[in-house]
Amino acid sequence: MKKDFRVQYPLWQMTFIVLLGFMIFSISGASTEFIHNDDELRFGVEFPPLESILLISSIFLTFLLIVVFSLKLSKHNKQYPTQKVSMWQIRPIEYLEQDEGMTHITRRAAQKVYTFFVWALPFMAVIYMVFEIPRYWMIFGILLLAFIQYLIFYLEVRKHIEEDEE
Amino acid sequence: MLHNRVKELRARFGFSQGELGERVGVTRQTIGFIEKGDFSPSITLALKLAREFEVKVDELFWLEGDKSQ
Repeated sequence: MKKDFRVQYPLWQMTFIVLLGFMIFSISGASTEFIHNDDELRFGVEFPPLESILLISSIFLTFLLIVVFSLKLSKHNKQYPTQKVSMWQIRPIEYLEQDEGMTHITRRAAQKVYTFFVWALPFMAVIYMVFEIPRYWMIFGILLLAFIQYLIFYLEVRKHIEEDEE
Repeated sequence: MLHNRVKELRARFGFSQGELGERVGVTRQTIGFIEKGDFSPSITLALKLAREFEVKVDELFWLEGDKSQ
């Protein structure tokens, strides 16, 4: 059960969030140049060496992981034809709703995530209002919330599944 | 709190959690959650389990402090 793609899905999302964070960090280190006069219209972006390596590596890793993710998803759909999932479905993939017991576990995990957001969103809004925070750090804050959301969901589901498998 | 004899009767009938789950149309994990008292099943599932074990529902599930058991 722990190897079920839907159980592992939050881990995938957390990985993609970290990679997105690296990409944003790399972009935030870039310097831009915009020249617009009668003679020319020019726009340039320059990345320092470390940021360039980070950006290229994170883009490469993201594409690689998207391929592996798609293969895993396709394998899951072949293994469980009655519980197919899609990358584009509106309903979150991590929901386990095969039966009432699994729906119960999903509900508990979702409640914990909801409780987290009830506190985290106003807290973050206050921080953003009180302090002058650069735009990139604001984005990092949102990514952090998203990361914690998936972490809470994953840990809650895994706790029940692990207890059950003991 | 809801108590139950699912684990005891399952052992008596010689079913694994997976087999019992298959018979009543749920996953092995859900049977495990019920046995541990983590989850109170719906009336439908309670009736299906009672039917499998050939007992009445109140012989399979009861509330804490209920003297009738």
